[in-house]
Amino acid sequence: MSTYDCTTYYCNNGWNEVISHLSPYSWANWGIAIGLGFSVVGAAWGIWLTGASLVGAAVKAPRIRSKNLVSVIFCEATAIYGVILAIILLNKVASPKDVSYNFSSNWPWANFYFAGYSVFFSGCSVGFTNIASGISVGIAGSACALGDAQDSSLFVKILIVEIFASALGIFGIIVGIIQSNNAMFPTQ
Amino acid sequence: MPGQTVGLGGMSTFNMQHGFVEALVRGFRSGFLQDESYHHLSQCDTLEDMKLNLQETDYGQSIQNDAAISPPLLEQRALQKMVTEFFYLRAQAVEPLATFLDYITYEYMIENIMLLLRGTISGRSANDLLAQCHPLGIFSESTMRQIPGFDASPRGYSDLYETVLVDTPVGVYFQRYIDTQAKTKITVASDVRGVLEEVQLEILKHSIMKLYLEDFYAFCVSLGGETAEIMGGLLRARADRNAINITLNSFNTPLNEPAMRDNYRKNLYPSFGDMYPEGTELLQRADDEAKLAQALQPFAIYRPIAERFSHTGGAHDDFSVDDEFYRHEVKLYELAFESQMHFGCFYAYVKLKEQEIRNLVWISECILQRRKDQIGKYVPIFSKADNRPGAGKGGH
Repeated sequence: MSTYDCTTYYCNNGWNEVISHLSPYSWANWGIAIGLGFSVVGAAWGIWLTGASLVGAAVKAPRIRSKNLVSVIFCEATAIYGVILAIILLNKVASPKDVSYNFSSNWPWANFYFAGYSVFFSGCSVGFTNIASGISVGIAGSACALGDAQDSSLFVKILIVEIFASALGIFGIIVGIIQSNNAMFPTQ
Repeated sequence: MPGQTVGLGGMSTFNMQHGFVEALVRGFRSGFLQDESYHHLSQCDTLEDMKLNLQETDYGQSIQNDAAISPPLLEQRALQKMVTEFFYLRAQAVEPLATFLDYITYEYMIENIMLLLRGTISGRSANDLLAQCHPLGIFSESTMRQIPGFDASPRGYSDLYETVLVDTPVGVYFQRYIDTQAKTKITVASDVRGVLEEVQLEILKHSIMKLYLEDFYAFCVSLGGETAEIMGGLLRARADRNAINITLNSFNTPLNEPAMRDNYRKNLYPSFGDMYPEGTELLQRADDEAKLAQALQPFAIYRPIAERFSHTGGAHDDFSVDDEFYRHEVKLYELAFESQMHFGCFYAYVKLKEQEIRNLVWISECILQRRKDQIGKYVPIFSKADNRPGAGKGGH
């Protein structure tokens, strides 16, 4: 602990001050990055899992090649949810009209902070749900490819499992959009 | 980063390194002969018919260049197909799957080395012996040629030590065996001669196999996860089968004497398995078939085999304990294909292919010798007939 008593305006006395002094612009842009980044990680992970099995199973059963690309498309969809939400969110982030060192005296601080937190956690919603959804679709897609190679009547049944898995990503983007609906970064 | 290896991985990371190879082996699973194929083959009257029927199966490619098939030729072609597929898998595998597949081949290397040693002592030519070696267990050709070349002189044995025991991947088992036989660690090659001369080759083979199985089991357990569970079960069943077979084959041989039982036979039983240690204690004391059946009674899995013993008594016309074990093991190996993302299916694939080759040879021999009544004794694999878990539609 410091032995000097801090007396200026810019001291951070405790975590409460540290966290509340983080700029809402920072919160918002982190949120966009998390939302997009984790969604893409989930999608990529899922494609890695299902693509490896798909390629291997297609060696002996080439007929499964085209049908099982659906699993890859489901994984891709989780990445698209991330991109959609990221675009929605970044349209909310707006910089102030007057570029000056201080904000104006009647700056709407409440809206400012609300917008920051709202965009951050909306991005988190989408990011974390999509990483789970992507991995889940990947594992189910791998089993789908292997099952289809042995017995083609299994494909449609296991596809239903994948549809439920990718529904998890949809939950994320729905909640994320609603969460960030009222967020509006003030411009003056 | 080059050289960095990823571990086995759980459900969410297994496919990254091993997904492709596992999918390949499951593709090979659909190449097994189906019930209909076995039915057609059993109806054949001549080997030409059998060849025609086989051409529609996965074996068609392997035998299409042969004018006529005979049981040994069929076995050779089928084995070559399996070996080609296995080495395709091995080429695509990364660690730890690569080590796992290597462990599967060590068993055949040990058999090959024993074959070469036995053949050399009975004076057969090196080329004959090399042609008879199991293709999965071939290590470097030059090393293999040197084994039949050794002569039973002190210099010969020390050469054997330096080539067989050092260059081969299974050399470590020979090293350990010699260490356990000699009370002190051997550093001079001439001491090796003493050990290798006194020990009969059969006991040597069983001891090396025991060391190999224990090493393989320890490796599988160290991999953890579902591989440890499934491979552990398969290897324990294997250890039990070895123990029972050693006991059974030692009846009516000098190894059955009480003194020999304690000193020699006891050390041949693997030190793991469902029957270890209480069951192997009972097996060690068994010196005839009744006691053997009694020893197997506490184990529910082996009780049917024990009952077959006590019912048929001394005559074994239509019952062979090997057949019973094959049937039992085929069920276990089929189950290894049931779950995904573990290594058990590779081991099961090799063993089931071996069984299929035995089936084909059996059917072709029955056709050749016109013993069609015996033809039904093959063990169906992935059969839809029973309500077994492994039964299901396979193939395309």
